[in-house]
Amino acid sequence: MATPTAPVSARAVVGQGLRLVGGFARARPAPFVLAVLGATLFAGAIIAASQVIGWVTDTVIVPVLTGGEPREGKLLPAVLAILGVAVWKAAAIVLRRNAAGYLQFKTQQDVRERLIEHQLGLSLSWFGRQSMGDLLAIADNDTRQATGVLAPFPYASGVSLLIVGTVVLMFFIDFWVGLVALVGMALVVFVEVRAAVTVYPAWEGIQKQMGKVTGVAHESFDGALTVKALGREEHEVARLRTESEDLARRIAETNSLWETYRVIITTLMPAISLAVLVVGAVRVDAGAASAGDVVSGLYLLGLLAFPVQLIAFVLFDMAASLPAHRRVQTVLEVDEVVEYGTEKAAPGSGPAPVAGDRVSFGYEPDTVVLDDVVLDIPAGRTVAVVGPTGSGKSTLTMLLARLWDPGSGRIRIDGRDLRSFARYELPREIAFVSQNSFLFDDTVAGNITLGGDYREEAIVEAAIMAGAHEFITELPNGYDTRIGERGAALSGGQRQRIALARALIRRPRVLILDDATSAVDPSVEAQILRRLKSADLPSTVILVAYRPSSIRLADEVVYIEDGRVVAQSSHEELMQTQPGYARLVRAYEEDAAERARSAR
Amino acid sequence: MSDATSTPRISTVAGIRRALKEAPRLGHRLWLIVVLNGFGTLVHVLVPVLIQQTVDRDLTEAGVDVTSVLVKVAVAAVVLVLGAVASRQAMVRLAHQAAHGLSDLRIKVFDKLIRSSMLHVQSERRGALVSRVTSDITTVQEFTEWGGVVFIVNSAQVLIAIAAMVLYEWRLALLVVGAVVVYAFVLIWFQRILQRNYDRVRRVVADSLAVMGEAVTGLPEVRAFGIEEKTMERVRNALERRSRTEFRTAAFGNALFSTAEVFAAGLTAAVVVVGILLGPSEGVTAGVLIAFLFLVNLLIEPVQSLVEILDFAQNAGAGLRRVVGVLDRADEIREPADPVPLPSGVLGVEFENVRFAYPGGPDVLSDVDVEIRPGSRVAVVGETGSGKTTFAKLLVRMLDPVEGTVRIGGVDLRRVARADLRRRVAFVPQEGFLFEGTIADNVRYGSPQATEREIRTAFIELGLDGWLQSLPAEMATEVGERGGNLSAGERQLVALVRAWISAPDLLVLDEATSAVDPALDVQLRRAIDRLTAGRTSVTIAHRLATAEAADEVLVFDAGRLVERGPHAELVQRGGVYAALYADWVTGTLAG
Repeated sequence: MATPTAPVSARAVVGQGLRLVGGFARARPAPFVLAVLGATLFAGAIIAASQVIGWVTDTVIVPVLTGGEPREGKLLPAVLAILGVAVWKAAAIVLRRNAAGYLQFKTQQDVRERLIEHQLGLSLSWFGRQSMGDLLAIADNDTRQATGVLAPFPYASGVSLLIVGTVVLMFFIDFWVGLVALVGMALVVFVEVRAAVTVYPAWEGIQKQMGKVTGVAHESFDGALTVKALGREEHEVARLRTESEDLARRIAETNSLWETYRVIITTLMPAISLAVLVVGAVRVDAGAASAGDVVSGLYLLGLLAFPVQLIAFVLFDMAASLPAHRRVQTVLEVDEVVEYGTEKAAPGSGPAPVAGDRVSFGYEPDTVVLDDVVLDIPAGRTVAVVGPTGSGKSTLTMLLARLWDPGSGRIRIDGRDLRSFARYELPREIAFVSQNSFLFDDTVAGNITLGGDYREEAIVEAAIMAGAHEFITELPNGYDTRIGERGAALSGGQRQRIALARALIRRPRVLILDDATSAVDPSVEAQILRRLKSADLPSTVILVAYRPSSIRLADEVVYIEDGRVVAQSSHEELMQTQPGYARLVRAYEEDAAERARSAR
Repeated sequence: MSDATSTPRISTVAGIRRALKEAPRLGHRLWLIVVLNGFGTLVHVLVPVLIQQTVDRDLTEAGVDVTSVLVKVAVAAVVLVLGAVASRQAMVRLAHQAAHGLSDLRIKVFDKLIRSSMLHVQSERRGALVSRVTSDITTVQEFTEWGGVVFIVNSAQVLIAIAAMVLYEWRLALLVVGAVVVYAFVLIWFQRILQRNYDRVRRVVADSLAVMGEAVTGLPEVRAFGIEEKTMERVRNALERRSRTEFRTAAFGNALFSTAEVFAAGLTAAVVVVGILLGPSEGVTAGVLIAFLFLVNLLIEPVQSLVEILDFAQNAGAGLRRVVGVLDRADEIREPADPVPLPSGVLGVEFENVRFAYPGGPDVLSDVDVEIRPGSRVAVVGETGSGKTTFAKLLVRMLDPVEGTVRIGGVDLRRVARADLRRRVAFVPQEGFLFEGTIADNVRYGSPQATEREIRTAFIELGLDGWLQSLPAEMATEVGERGGNLSAGERQLVALVRAWISAPDLLVLDEATSAVDPALDVQLRRAIDRLTAGRTSVTIAHRLATAEAADEVLVFDAGRLVERGPHAELVQRGGVYAALYADWVTGTLAG
């Protein structure tokens, strides 16, 4: 038996499940009411159908076929009654299913919209602790599961009514027949609740195990080159085999359990019919009931056989919707929202000075990535941020673009704290380009403008400066070529250049480049840097760089080591005063020189 | 381009046959399951028959034969229990066979895929390939458990109900069967429209997922450029399109579903009318007619669910064909039947007239003729797209040439056993891929027998012990999912140690230190040069410092080997390399 992940009590599932359904129903009452109305009409139609069959048996079939009465005038009413009830039932089905479907789809839409809107306002420090795959699974799968109970719920409530109605009707036929039906139906419902409550945790275990299988496949396929380079294919197959066989074992056991319950339920229904038949025969014999009554009761039970099985499904859906809904709520309840002030941006007013005031930062509470950083960058300067691998350069640029907020200290642009800006205002002054910029599933032009209103010449001009114009014009549809997941495949260097054009077109007051040309061939990079240097940008430029050529473009260098600004000065002076800096920047040059010496 | 992500054009029957051959557990004694299930279904027909018998013979107006009713019910109860046991037995068997058989199939497909070069050639398709071993198999699994079973049960139910009808009264039976057949055809015709609608739903769903994914994954850009509102508008539009399409499709299906009720009623009415018109003189008693009314109901539900099952079957069939399609692909890199062992000692490399192109694509490399002497240090340079990475992949047999031959130690690579090759030749790709686990786990990945001491020695040899000590738990530091706790440069360091520890006779590095800082890069290269003295090394270089230090430089341009020779000589020649080098010098001169 698969280990249950959490004990589930029937009372808790039903109680919380009903509250969940109630919450969704309050948000969209009209379709909910219509769905329940449809379900009620449906239940009524089924009972009516059994009555009609009983009536046809008693007034047409038995009198004509057994009693030898004439059939004239009896057929038409029978046909009309049968068809009439059917149309009623069909209409009820359409009403119930459409309303319930509408409710479910619209509720999903509501939940997804709220999720994305909420997340767009959350801080990146929260995102840093999440897995993107999980967040998307919450918006997709969990939302579907959380609302999954909405479609069958009205039907189930209709079926419940139907069960009550059936039992009541059986009591009308005869007390003893009614009692048999009552006990039988109670037993069926009891078994269904047991089925849902015992199978659900095992099912959750299956989902978890499925996640592990997917995880192994993803990891092995992503690392395929490494796996093969080291000749470890068999090892990966063995890893998958372990997880896959565990999954198979869980599926087999859980399904066996579920099928056992299902067989019990499908056997109980005819068993109840048999009991009703025996009791009915005795009562007819005693003259307490009519043969037609017993037949219509049996017919009704026959009609219930299938819908009754749905109760277990609904309870199961309810059990599944609760944890999914909890996961959705967890995201919606995150309160790490980015706080904004009221300051308005002043775009187009020339380069802005940037200052960092004793800034400290760590991604997690007890780690220090930046420690007491003080920065003072005058307006219009180009400043290179240099430091060894892992010294905190990228982090600093992200703080300057306010993608993260410092743990302590302040960052100011033109004297104003970044946090004092109103929402959407800061990006009008600052443009940020990272090493792995994200390109949207849109055209090249759309990725440069990002929906902003720019003339075509401006787009081309930005692309030329970013060294992207040439390859863009060689794409099948030039600037209108679609890129992204389903579009043209671009190399890393090409993607970086489009991202650079995206920043340049905005003519920002502060331009931040975090190793933004790392994947561009050196000769192309040199060209881009020359263009940037000669262009008349209205910007203060801050760039993270390794290559001395990029560093030399800068008026000034900020040298960082272990999260501290060690010095801020001209390149020449740092070469003199900072041995660490000189070693870093001259590594290749010295290497060449040393080789030349040893060759001599 | 041969494609593992589309659905192959083989028949579903052929797909099933192939799957049963690959995973024999799947079809083990399937006939027994069918027989047991058929018996279980028989029970469903029992009650209507019994009621007919009782109403006709024991429940007459003249009086009730209670004893006879009791006897019949007792017999029925026994049969009911037997039927339940048979059904359960069948389902439990099926659950085990389906789960384990499909797991076998999954493992085979995974085994096939992990050995294919699609994974690193078409990296954007990896997601689709993962679904070959996950969602595609799951669809087939769900179908065998639910759709397939329901189909078997339903078919049995229909056949038994029809048999019972024919036994009662063949003319009424003909009427019912004729009507059901016509109705089934109408439903199947509508099902095609439904299928088209489902395709549309799948598209808008995929679209909404992509847009939501962009909003979340691209959040740094969204935030940095202040485009939250525009992004939200796109999300809203995609979600609105999705819910509208989903609702329309569902509404059409609902209408189709509800017609079954009207059809059933029409049929019931027709049976009553025809039955009464025939009358007792033709053998239609009240009991027979009532039994027919019950039996008609037994036919409706299977026909109604036919639409859903057909849809399900189509999806499962497509999934199965995609899975089987993977197994049917020819191996790209074939293991030799009678491998030739690599000679011991230092290994040299020869490329003879090598040409390479991806299927259906232009040449990536052509006319490559080169010999790398044993023990030499070679650097391979060229711009992005010049073919230098393909050269490395051919050299370590991640790919096979379309034309020509690659030899290592004088042996054609196609005749070398894979295990032999991997033991002697280490290849470090640029990505620096790490598996979830500790640093030690990752180093040990290629050499599972390596001791902690050996791992530490490897770090010391490469001068990385200082870095190792700076980590929170040194060797036991968790690297996180895909090494996410480390920077790109640090991941490359671990990947380098991992290859290093296997003490290869030929070391191939593909820009393996592209993300580490210059000082560390120089330090690593010196260490490697010192340690590989006397062994052969081929380095695909992004930074020309590597080329300066090499014995020989191979220069690639537009898929051809255009220049070769020592650094100094190539600089003097004033060709492609000289231009690359000039750029590099301007780039690195600290001035």
